[in-house]
Amino acid sequence: MNAQEATAATSYGGGIPRINYLNAKTTLASWLLTKDHKRIAIMYLISVSVFFLIGGTFAATIRLELLTPASDLLETGTYNKVFTEHGIMMIFFFLIPSIPAVLGNFLIPIMIGAKDLALPRINLVSLYIYWIAGALALYGLMVGGVDTGWTFYTPYSTTFSNTYVEIVGIAIFINGFSSILTGLNFIVTIHTMRAPGMTWFRLPLFVWGHYAVSLVMVLGTPVIAITLLLVAIERFARVGIFDPAIGGDPILFQHLFWFYSHPAVYIMVLPGMGVVSELISNFSRKKIFGYEFIAFSSIAIAVFGFLVWGHHLFVSGQSPYAGMVFSFLTMVVAVPSAIKMFNWTATMYKGSIHFDTPMLYGLGFMGLFLIGGLTGLFLGALGLDVHLTDTYFVVAHFHYVMVGGQVVAYLGGLHYWWPKMTGRMYSEFWGKVSAMLVFVGFNLTFFPQFLLGYQGMPRRYAAYPPEFQVLNIFSTAGASVLGIGMLMPVIYFLHSLWWGKEAGDNPWLLPGLEWRTSSPPPTENFLTPPIVTWEPYEFGEGSGLELEAERRREAERAAV
Amino acid sequence: METTNWVPLFPEQASTFAWQVDSLYFYLVAVSIAFTIPIVLAIFIFAMKYRAKEKYGSGAEIHGSMVLETTWSIIPFIVSMTIFLGGAIVFFNQYTPPENGMTVYVVGKQWMWKLQHETGQREINELHVPVGRNIKLIMTTEDVIHDFGLPEFRTKADIVPGRYTYLWFQATKPGKYHLFCQEYCGLNHSGMGGWVYVMEQKDFDAWLSGNASGQTPVEMGKDLFENKLGCASCHAGGPQQRGAKLEGLYMSTVHLTGGGTVVADDNYIRNSIENPASQVVEGYQPIMPTFKGQVTEEQLNALVAYVKSLTPGAPTSSSSAGSAAPSPAANTAGAAAGAANSMAPPKADRGKRTAPGSNPNTPANSNR
Amino acid sequence: MAEHGHSDKFVYHEPGLQHQFSDMMQQEQSVSIGMWAFLAQEIMFFGGLFTAYLVFRSKYPMAFAAGSNRLDAFLGGTNTLVLIVSSLTMALTVYFAQKGNRHLQIIFILLTMLFGAAFLGIKAVEYHNKYVEGIVPVAGWNARAKAPAGAEREEAKPCWQAENLEGDNYVNPKGEFIWADCSLAKLAQDENFLTTAEKAGYFSNGQLDGDKFRDKVRIFFFLYFVMTGLHALHMIVGLVLMTWLLWTAFRGYYNADYYMPVEMSGLYWHFVDIVWIFLFPLLYLLGRHFVHAH
Repeated sequence: MNAQEATAATSYGGGIPRINYLNAKTTLASWLLTKDHKRIAIMYLISVSVFFLIGGTFAATIRLELLTPASDLLETGTYNKVFTEHGIMMIFFFLIPSIPAVLGNFLIPIMIGAKDLALPRINLVSLYIYWIAGALALYGLMVGGVDTGWTFYTPYSTTFSNTYVEIVGIAIFINGFSSILTGLNFIVTIHTMRAPGMTWFRLPLFVWGHYAVSLVMVLGTPVIAITLLLVAIERFARVGIFDPAIGGDPILFQHLFWFYSHPAVYIMVLPGMGVVSELISNFSRKKIFGYEFIAFSSIAIAVFGFLVWGHHLFVSGQSPYAGMVFSFLTMVVAVPSAIKMFNWTATMYKGSIHFDTPMLYGLGFMGLFLIGGLTGLFLGALGLDVHLTDTYFVVAHFHYVMVGGQVVAYLGGLHYWWPKMTGRMYSEFWGKVSAMLVFVGFNLTFFPQFLLGYQGMPRRYAAYPPEFQVLNIFSTAGASVLGIGMLMPVIYFLHSLWWGKEAGDNPWLLPGLEWRTSSPPPTENFLTPPIVTWEPYEFGEGSGLELEAERRREAERAAV
Repeated sequence: METTNWVPLFPEQASTFAWQVDSLYFYLVAVSIAFTIPIVLAIFIFAMKYRAKEKYGSGAEIHGSMVLETTWSIIPFIVSMTIFLGGAIVFFNQYTPPENGMTVYVVGKQWMWKLQHETGQREINELHVPVGRNIKLIMTTEDVIHDFGLPEFRTKADIVPGRYTYLWFQATKPGKYHLFCQEYCGLNHSGMGGWVYVMEQKDFDAWLSGNASGQTPVEMGKDLFENKLGCASCHAGGPQQRGAKLEGLYMSTVHLTGGGTVVADDNYIRNSIENPASQVVEGYQPIMPTFKGQVTEEQLNALVAYVKSLTPGAPTSSSSAGSAAPSPAANTAGAAAGAANSMAPPKADRGKRTAPGSNPNTPANSNR
Repeated sequence: MAEHGHSDKFVYHEPGLQHQFSDMMQQEQSVSIGMWAFLAQEIMFFGGLFTAYLVFRSKYPMAFAAGSNRLDAFLGGTNTLVLIVSSLTMALTVYFAQKGNRHLQIIFILLTMLFGAAFLGIKAVEYHNKYVEGIVPVAGWNARAKAPAGAEREEAKPCWQAENLEGDNYVNPKGEFIWADCSLAKLAQDENFLTTAEKAGYFSNGQLDGDKFRDKVRIFFFLYFVMTGLHALHMIVGLVLMTWLLWTAFRGYYNADYYMPVEMSGLYWHFVDIVWIFLFPLLYLLGRHFVHAH
């Protein structure tokens, strides 16, 4: 038996191992003080889901209010707080942590063949910081919330808003450090903790995607930290650099804010792209097409993403020449994403495709991100952006890339690695139903908003002219479908924890390193530390899976 | 320069560069379709053709293709460059105001627009312009960032405190077009709208000289009260009332803050509009902004006539005792939207609804 | 490559090796990359402030020159020297840790802490001086001094002839930020080197406006306090780190084979030093020629 086969055979051959990371120790302290990256990932999963539900409730409220042109469900001031908090909760407390802190934390050590992340205590500190920040943000929400928009433009946020800008601003500031430490940990881990034989170009693309996103998290997040800190100081001390009434410059705020917040949107898509590379290649049972191109395009997006922030300031009073530079660079940063899209499609060519739920989400990502990315070109074109900025076109665009992109990829990843994390399979039927509801509901919700935007409907409007009502009704109808589609997994995932079929360590017989240990894995991830000698997405001769495939075919023939 | 009125999905093209913006849009839609169709088709075809035949089988061993990668890197790059060039050219047209033209000064503030023509004519929440002439707007704001958005003209620009920003357009068709505030500015951001009236040159000249409509003073005053000046937002009644009730006011006895009474005659009404802080009704907050300098003599007379008409049986000169003095019920708390006009630095209000009548963007029957 | 069985009890581990690492080299590499990544993000953190400083300095150079000249360059320079020496003692700490000399290690940690504390002490003196001079940019955070009873009210001079209120002339009943002297702006106006922003920013109705000039000087002091304050916070963290290092060195944790924590702490300390090396000239040495050459 060669090394590959040996590694493939280290699995228990099915069933949940008697001792695994979930039940190794069961006291509360063993969870809250854990250094195990997998437990930390599970705690993140629960936390981000809470914020997703809160943010989602606000989304539902927005869509209900927008059923009618008048501001009748909510007072305008309340509506302003609702959309602000929707943005803050979803972006800072759900989307940015989601894939890295849940799936990244769980899988990166296993995918590289390590026992844990390089800095487990830093990982735990990162979780604690997230909880503290989240608690502060919730406190800010409960005492009255913020109404500045998640963009906190000055001087409204420094001088005019009567809401709890300091509290929520500091909460976001604190949360930034959680993000920074997670990214830092990933960078170190991927550099130093790879198992013997796991060279850079044998890494799964999920890991490459997380490496790229970690660069952005570490280098970009401090800028928003200092910016929001300055806003809080300015509000408190009534002196500062953003309010023109005391000599400051509101456009400086916009530059500092967007210098982070644009790379932030790549934080909110690169991990998703990493997941999609895994889904498409594994469920086509075929090597990913253009591995190096996908790997380098992630790095390119991370780097170029730092150069385009000015495209949020095209109509802000920024110099038109600066606008031209930023528009040009925005077009450049679109190209790596296009390359990925083509590579994923080509991966399916001559594959052996299975349409399990994770694959449906992967395909959904491709369709939705395609539209989202293309509409980004609309907004990057200067002349067109003048008409479209601050309208619902922008709202539709970013929901397509963030929700149609990252959230769909997150759901796909959860469904894909659920058996690994919990040892249980969920109901495949309900999984497929919810994937399709999400796809259909999403398009119904957000496609009309492109049309609304071109017609001129501004964003952040509690009340709007009556001629926009029909499309808004369509959008709300779609949102109900989307909401149902997104809530269903909560039910069947929870159900699977008690009554789901035991998955076994490699339910779909895949070559990745994570599938060569038990489900759930033991605390130290592998019983025997692996030695890697095969290429990534190796489905052919070198995968060592043939033996197991034959065994399963035998078992199925015997069962008949 | 085609128009697309018959397509309900696009706003009217009402400016000289609107067709350029729309053309760029159509080009981008075409590019999007050109990329989407092959990719989606490929996904569908591959999905069907390469469906797994055997459960544990695997796909072909294909690593990649340099030729394909190069092709699909270069072509999207070239396409994106054409989009950039198109966008840059249109942008240049949108933001390079021509030399000759009319200038209008715009001041935005929470939550209204104040405009002034070169000839001195002032407007609130409305802009009258002649068709076929270059209009340049020089804009600033008194408080937070706003945005002067004109969808039918396909242009907008932020207005930033502490500096001047500018915008230009040339309207091509007479009509009534939306003006939206398009940068979130606080409580009544969605109510900060208005209208741009594009008129034939001769109609514009007539309007400019001040006598465009054949309204009676009371009708004109009612129009100013309810629509143009936003008086109704505080004085219209209902739970939003922050200002004294004006029905039955004329020639009644008014109790002022700090003691003292006064009879509400023509001068009282006029003074309340020009210098409201000097005589605040007891039980009300001193938050009414002054309209001195914002209304012409003619408009002032019209307003006085209208307020008088709110007292039944009160012709222009007699002084019948109307209903009781305005009830000093303190029915609001906190600073109202109007406070923003007179205090510095203004503080935004919390939790107050858009007042009926003050928002041209909502139906008139949104009376809650 | 070291192999680990199920139970760690039976395998020799180097002291200080964390369980997730297979050998010391891996641990040291990891910790090193981690610390460098952390310092990179610290640079971005301060970077935002440096950006703001650069933007405002290029907009209002005269106001910034005026403010900068009120800072005590002697104390600032002394602090720079103190920090550089502390970096030397820190480097020596690492050197002696590498040599396995516990005794000298501890001495140099103590010296480093001494210089670090001296830095903070001098900073405290500087901050106090700002307080008594009325140039803390927050209203109410300056020393209050009522006008002496019976003092003659001098005729208000235009701001370019006024002098800053110091010593016996210091009158500040509400503890506000006070700045009376706008002579540098007048100089720039006379000799025609005002920037575009200054031509609008210092003037009201065509006249030099002392209050507007004061607001811009206030921004300089705001940035001064935020930047040096953030730096001082990092120094305090550094001192805490040194305390931990002192304790662990005293307990004998480090030897010639294992002194990575000392080296990493050294990296952090040097970083804090370098930030100051940038802060000092930008804040203290700027625009001195305007005042001293005329």
